[in-house]
Amino acid sequence: MLALHEGQKALCPRCTATLQVYQPDSLNRTAAFAAASAILLVVANWFPFLTLRAGYRESQMLLWQSVAGLEDQGYVSLAGAVSLFILLAPTLLIGGLLYLILPLFWNRRLPGAIEICRAVFWARRWNMLEVFLLATLVSLLKLGKLATLTLGISFWAFVALILCLTSALVSIHPRELWDRLEKARE
Amino acid sequence: MRAFAPHSAARHGLALCHVCELVSPVRNVRCPRCRSRLHLRGSESLQRTWALTIAALILYFPANLLPILKITSVTGDKQNTILGGVVQFWQQRDYLVAIIIFSASVVIPVLKIIAIVSLSLAARTGRRPFGMTRIYRVTEFIGRWSMTDVFVVAILVAVVQLGSALSIHPGAAAISFAGVVILTMLAATSFDPRLIWDAAGRAESKPND
Repeated sequence: MLALHEGQKALCPRCTATLQVYQPDSLNRTAAFAAASAILLVVANWFPFLTLRAGYRESQMLLWQSVAGLEDQGYVSLAGAVSLFILLAPTLLIGGLLYLILPLFWNRRLPGAIEICRAVFWARRWNMLEVFLLATLVSLLKLGKLATLTLGISFWAFVALILCLTSALVSIHPRELWDRLEKARE
Repeated sequence: MRAFAPHSAARHGLALCHVCELVSPVRNVRCPRCRSRLHLRGSESLQRTWALTIAALILYFPANLLPILKITSVTGDKQNTILGGVVQFWQQRDYLVAIIIFSASVVIPVLKIIAIVSLSLAARTGRRPFGMTRIYRVTEFIGRWSMTDVFVVAILVAVVQLGSALSIHPGAAAISFAGVVILTMLAATSFDPRLIWDAAGRAESKPND
């Protein structure tokens, strides 16, 4: 494996794309950010995400209810897609990373590690939390004239979750992770 | 002039595993580490890319012609297409929302389809490999943001439960539009940018005509 020092990066000699940057403590950092993300994921799903007030009526929305709303209206496939992007993919990413990395600190590999590692890299593409954040802001602006919308605790946990999960994904060093998994004891 | 061809791993029969990034001889058939299938280049990359792009292009029409949102209120029913919504926001002087929705729902999908088509053509001609590789990276990064409008529909449907006063239902365009985004994302994934460089190498080794 290529040993890079601080401030160095490896470039592709043909298309000059960045191959690898200096990523110190890759495993430690990924594990820490993934653990923080796990807590924030629970908080973000536990508390109300948005509260809508119009006249005397008030309705609260939990994060998963944005999926349930579509399902109630008969849009099952759409509900499935949305739940993949904002619930399943993030859960798979966070749970998968913890399942893989924590045992590595004892140089161990839990059953199914290779398959889960593949699933984690697959889920990275379909995780769309940050897009959902933009959509939330658009909805706020859209409904602003009709009703009063308040952001719940869950919304702020959600923002922090995006930051932590992005940091976890950026600190993953795929080659190091695969090498360590390969050498770890079952 | 730089040489594009000389040192590719493919020439030495070495394949990079697309899952775990281990380099091993392609005659292994499967990656010795993660058991994924090995390919020198994405399997039937161009065929898949074309098929997915054409499917996305077909879905693009219902996505824009059918209503994405149905609003039922005391004043009557209202249906909105994506473009209709943009126009409405612009008229209400909500320029920011209008611009966000217009770029995420109209500009990005169209640009993305054009980008994937030109990439697929470049994989045959090998022209402008540097520029094309940059287009590929932008395309991969930007595609997901088109999902904004679908999420907006999901949020509005869920949060507005005011019964008789106002109710919001998703329209048929929401599914088509989600389909467009998913298909273009898959098309970008199945495209292998190394094909452009292979073609550039071939174009270079041929005498100029």
